[in-house]
Amino acid sequence: MVVGQREPRAGRWSRGRGAVTAVVTLAVGAVSLFLLLPLTASTRPAVRDITLVVRDMAFYLDGGGEPNPTIQVRTGETVQLTLLNRDPGFKHNLTIEALGLDMPHLETGASKRVRLRAPSRPGRLPYVCAPHSEMMRGVIEVVGSR
Amino acid sequence: MDLDTTNWSGEGAFTQVLIDAFQGLASIAGARVEDASPARSDVEYNFVSNEVFVRFRTRDRTVRAKMLGIVPVIRTVSETVMKLTDLECTLGDIAGVGPPDYADEGMLQYLRTERVVPPYQTRGYKLVELVRVYEVGTAPRAPEGS
Repeated sequence: MVVGQREPRAGRWSRGRGAVTAVVTLAVGAVSLFLLLPLTASTRPAVRDITLVVRDMAFYLDGGGEPNPTIQVRTGETVQLTLLNRDPGFKHNLTIEALGLDMPHLETGASKRVRLRAPSRPGRLPYVCAPHSEMMRGVIEVVGSR
Repeated sequence: MDLDTTNWSGEGAFTQVLIDAFQGLASIAGARVEDASPARSDVEYNFVSNEVFVRFRTRDRTVRAKMLGIVPVIRTVSETVMKLTDLECTLGDIAGVGPPDYADEGMLQYLRTERVVPPYQTRGYKLVELVRVYEVGTAPRAPEGS
């Protein structure tokens, strides 16, 4: 009977300890989540989209009217560059020798998208259409980050 | 043939060759020549772009029809004696003109390039002439800002 009276005490102790462990675990979990949550968000800057449309034997920024424009990017910036050929009867491409980019020649209506990372130093990177390099050439101007 | 050159600067030797060819074709009633907006030049090239809108002669043809599906009537229908695809074939046979470099259902496109070396210069520049031929009433391709 003595043994029988001790059993409920041990059970209460065990249940109490279990409850404390659960609360502590939950608390630690909540704190950890609170601390780690900011790390799950992307710390990388947004990738900028640049679309170059080819028409009338020249590059134009999408919606722009200046042929073969100078494109400004920041040092180390990642851009998504899309080339769209809207020049009937001509195949065009985009070559940026300084970045080792040599796109395939696109038929009329075709487009190609590439992701580029600007150099870490400011400078000027010429871009051309390889088959029409005399007329279709512009500059990507890499400027220092603010 | 009625020729309207009020919006043409006169630049483009091949454009003149085309106009001369049109003047020899009885099926062409008129032509309007215009400077195209993308014409531009640099130290290495001179890009001339012209648009020619041709108007074909028409002929009347009587067609039997039924008004309201019951009453027989004879209508006179006016139709062009030539289409752009016919003009493409015709021009292809003309010496000095030849077939277009590109053609679709609404446009014929010629590209002529030559290197021009002015007197006392060694390098010269590249003269590029782009001529697009449309039928009157057709909207030109690649509008500004597209």
